[in-house]
Amino acid sequence: MLSSFPWLSAVIVLPLVAAAFIPVIPDKEGKTVRWYALGASFVNFALIIYALWQNYDFQQPGYQLSESLDWIPALGLTWSLAIDGLSMPLVVLTGLVTTLAILAGWQVKQKPRLFYGLMLVMFGAQLGVFCAQDLLQFFLIWELELVPVYILIAIWGGPKRRYAATKFILYTAISSIFILIAGLAMAFYGDTVTFNLTQLGLKDYPLGFAMLCYLGFLIAYGVKLSMFPFHTWLPDAHGEASAPVSMLLAGVLLKMGGYAMIRMNVQMLPDAHVYFAPMLAVLGVVNVVYGALVSFAQRNLKRRMAYSSISHMGFVLLGIAAYTELGMNGALLQMISHGLIAAALFFLAGVTYDRTHTLNLDEMGGLAKKMPAAFALFTIASMASLALPGMSGFVGELEVFVGFTTSDIYTTSFKVVLVVLAAVGLIVTPVYLLSMLREMFYGKEGKAVAGQVFLDAKPRELFIAASFLVPIILVGFYPRLLTQAYDATTVQIATDARNAIPTLASGDLVTLPQVSMAPAIEALANVSLTR
Amino acid sequence: MELLYQYAWAIPVLPLFGATIVGVGLIAFNKETNQLRGGISAFLVSLIGMAMVLSLAIFWDQFQGHDAYTKMIEWAAAGDFRLKMGYTIDHLTAMMLVVVTTVAFLVMIYTDGYMAHDKSYVRFYAYLSLFSSSMLGLVISPNLIQVYVFWELVGMCSYLLIGFWFDRKAASEACQKAFVTNRVGDFGLLLGILGLYWATQSFDFGVIGDRLGELVSSGSMSGSVAALLAILVFLGPVAKSAQFPLHVWLPDAMEGPTPISALIHAATMVAAGVFLIARMFPVFEHVPAAMTVIAWTGAITAFIGATTAITQNDIKKGLAYSTMSQLGYMVMAMGCGAYSAGLFHLVTHAYFKAMLFLGSGSVIHGMEVVVGHNAAYAQDMRLMGGLRKHMPITATTFLIGTLAICGIPPFAGFWSKDEILHQAYEANPGLWMVGFVTAGITAFYMFRMYFSTFEGEFRGENKAMLAVIDGEQALLLGKKAKGDHAEDHHHDHEPHESPWAMTLPLMVLAVPSIGIGLLGTPFNNYFESFIHAPGEVFTQGAVDLPEFLIMGGSSVGIGLIGITLAVMMYVQGKIDPAKWAKSNPSLYALSKNKWYFDEIYDLVFVKTTRRLARQVLEVDYKVVDGLVNLTGFVTLLSGEGLKYLENGRAQFYALIVFGAVLGLVIFSGVS
Repeated sequence: MLSSFPWLSAVIVLPLVAAAFIPVIPDKEGKTVRWYALGASFVNFALIIYALWQNYDFQQPGYQLSESLDWIPALGLTWSLAIDGLSMPLVVLTGLVTTLAILAGWQVKQKPRLFYGLMLVMFGAQLGVFCAQDLLQFFLIWELELVPVYILIAIWGGPKRRYAATKFILYTAISSIFILIAGLAMAFYGDTVTFNLTQLGLKDYPLGFAMLCYLGFLIAYGVKLSMFPFHTWLPDAHGEASAPVSMLLAGVLLKMGGYAMIRMNVQMLPDAHVYFAPMLAVLGVVNVVYGALVSFAQRNLKRRMAYSSISHMGFVLLGIAAYTELGMNGALLQMISHGLIAAALFFLAGVTYDRTHTLNLDEMGGLAKKMPAAFALFTIASMASLALPGMSGFVGELEVFVGFTTSDIYTTSFKVVLVVLAAVGLIVTPVYLLSMLREMFYGKEGKAVAGQVFLDAKPRELFIAASFLVPIILVGFYPRLLTQAYDATTVQIATDARNAIPTLASGDLVTLPQVSMAPAIEALANVSLTR
Repeated sequence: MELLYQYAWAIPVLPLFGATIVGVGLIAFNKETNQLRGGISAFLVSLIGMAMVLSLAIFWDQFQGHDAYTKMIEWAAAGDFRLKMGYTIDHLTAMMLVVVTTVAFLVMIYTDGYMAHDKSYVRFYAYLSLFSSSMLGLVISPNLIQVYVFWELVGMCSYLLIGFWFDRKAASEACQKAFVTNRVGDFGLLLGILGLYWATQSFDFGVIGDRLGELVSSGSMSGSVAALLAILVFLGPVAKSAQFPLHVWLPDAMEGPTPISALIHAATMVAAGVFLIARMFPVFEHVPAAMTVIAWTGAITAFIGATTAITQNDIKKGLAYSTMSQLGYMVMAMGCGAYSAGLFHLVTHAYFKAMLFLGSGSVIHGMEVVVGHNAAYAQDMRLMGGLRKHMPITATTFLIGTLAICGIPPFAGFWSKDEILHQAYEANPGLWMVGFVTAGITAFYMFRMYFSTFEGEFRGENKAMLAVIDGEQALLLGKKAKGDHAEDHHHDHEPHESPWAMTLPLMVLAVPSIGIGLLGTPFNNYFESFIHAPGEVFTQGAVDLPEFLIMGGSSVGIGLIGITLAVMMYVQGKIDPAKWAKSNPSLYALSKNKWYFDEIYDLVFVKTTRRLARQVLEVDYKVVDGLVNLTGFVTLLSGEGLKYLENGRAQFYALIVFGAVLGLVIFSGVS
């Protein structure tokens, strides 16, 4: 169904236009600006919901609300947008998290105009990444979005903010050059030059070429998704950024990596995905266990949460590699669920930091008595993060587990090893999350707590936390509420991916990783010889 | 009566509804909600009361012979995968519903007295309601995934309740230990569920059992794989029902307030493991190897629990080890194929152990008047003695519970325990021997507990004993003697009987503790005709009277020996326990130190995990970060680059990067 009104352009441009007016708003104490930014953001979020409600058909697997416009014809660059079941939930998540992040940044005193302006720019840029249909356009917005993040970390962050911001931009900027290289190579391959994602996916690439492009995308999106060993920027960035920015980083930006990996690696290069999938699964399990272990050793609250994000992203990789409808469904559910949970946790960390002025777990303790409501919210969010049933994290992980277990393309021994190791993560996760709760809230009062008077969570803070926790619990209680909105698309993606698996003479699917990398290496060698 | 079944979902939903309202109230309007104490407890108690009435009605209907009822809705779906949730009501569910709701109802009444002076009275009621709801959800679960969901939820409630007094260090550590130990079991349970699903494409108990049976008998799955999967599932009950080797959390869980020790850690949640084994019975019965493992795990647990309980001075810890030991009996019964006997013991134990725990709570409540609000004093049996004069109702009900657990006829425990021992003997005399010896030890430690608490002289103000306890506490906490409770002003020199809210539930629980065993006598076994293994047909066989007399007689006999020993040691003083301890130092130390499980686990698991985590962090920091950072790049940046950044023009740098990338785009686009 084509809608005449360009809804997606509207919701991307509106926050950018709103941001452009911020410098001229009459404002003395920064109070008008924050209402203005919140209002703009809220209107945009409402607009997203309205546009989807009116024009989006949840049963359709393909792209909807499509629009296209020549942008720079000389470069073949078009401004084309569309969403499907893969991007639609992430668009809604972006709207929710960004609006709440602006509300969470209510108390920003330093350069409020710049802060709220950048948050609005982020809103538009994030939506642009999820909606872009043109590879070049995608790349431009992907890069554009780095700048506000960089500034947001570098100005409003913690003591090591410069280092963290620089590291963030270096990692993402350098790795995203691979998007450009791989993208351009694919665009110019063959007879027609195109940047359109769908058409790029229809081209028939030789295996070696496809694998090189896949590798390029994998590095770029792996960095964004904090895939081992490219994850080390994340604890610095997430740890140093202020709470609202951490909410965006963990809630939305991490998901860009997973989204793009499904969109490009799986959808555009399904032949190469067959050979990389076992590696993705292994890396996913490494993320789960490694992230959990490092998290346990951290003494800084936000770094602990950051490594917890790394651990949870491993399930996304595992789901992508599962080659089953359930695994793909679970991967997307895990992204959405983690977006909500991580944003809630980082927000709550901001709430306690606001009172204690420390992130050092050794200095906290005994907060429960002084902040009972914050304690309750923190407990709920931590339980959600450790995948307690009844909350969304459990459903995502369960789907990935079942999806990977039932996958018929891997050998049994490969699956057993990976599933058992991933399940070890289930034991370590409560260890670090409950230790965190214990060190913060239980027991005797710590150095930063004793003798101080703290205000418990304020109504504004309760509202923000509730806005995250209510959907987490609703999805946990009845996951179909969310999954039926996108299942048609994930089924389509999984089916397409499976069609690319080579079959044996008997008609059975080959099993991985027994496929052995031999044909792939041969193909790679051919590429390098012919060039 | 169909209507009753259609609305059976209300049984877990009613307490959940109450807990949600009170929980939201506590978070959003803390002060106001906390002031509504009586109103809230009345509201929550009446909700659980309604659930109890519904449960009793369903039980009655099931007893009249109504068919099993199942109702499902689609819960999760992806492509062709469908996962359903719902509820199923059969005899086993009906029985569990009644046990859970009645004990929960009585415990919630008791709580009003026990927690009357606690500032977090309302929060405690909210947690209790949440727990009841999760536990009821567990027993109506129709498939393994739903069991897993509620399995974890009851674990979470247990975590919240153990850590209820969050300012106590011991409580904060105990609740984490409980959750993590249970997660180890859940790890096995989840892997088992996944493996069974992989093998049989189903989460449904009956279907899994049938298909697994086919697979094994047709030879397409080796018996050892089936055994491995069954044992993985069994790891769940091992943790939840505090079986060896994952029992370590249960004694520590006694840091929670006593009402929850009775409800969660004696009557209901810890019995969930036995319930799950019963539900999985169609699967396990195809796997003899797993049955053997289950039976021996139970037997070992029963023995370890009983031998540890002998030397405990903390009344609650003693009862905790006793619970562990009794759960061992139930698991052993299940492993022997004695389905009905195991569940019968679950029911009788739920009532008499709940009563014993509530009794101990009443004792603690009375002691606090004399020794102050310090768990180290108020729960130590060396400071008690002679309480029968001051607390006659508590003493009488405690004695009834003690007789029941010791297996003295006609009290409840005799019938269920005798049934288990009888069937264990038929399965394997070795198992019977362990159970038999344990029965004797049980009688001894329970009467030791009864005598040192209620008989003799009151020692609550014995300065010498207080000093000994202070010394032990100091050793335990690494602090100087005389804790911070020395200035606690004591109201009285004598303990007093607890208020009616506490004694009433005790008296009510005494009824089933005395009489419920009569439902399961071998002469007319109503219980077994109602609850028997799926697929079995119950027939009331003729009783072999001489055999019954020999088996029953011998277990009563060893119980009496235990009691006599306790009388000689703790009433008449003919045998000095201290002298016995001195002559067997290693045995005494083994029991006193709980078989050193905590020390070993601390060394092997806790410290190793910590060290591993630190090492991985080091690797992450030095190797991974260093390598990917491209060490050269970093040196360059930290030298020249950062110097430039330091003067506050970071934004400019970002622009350069952005510009460069943009340039690259245009350049590559044009060329």
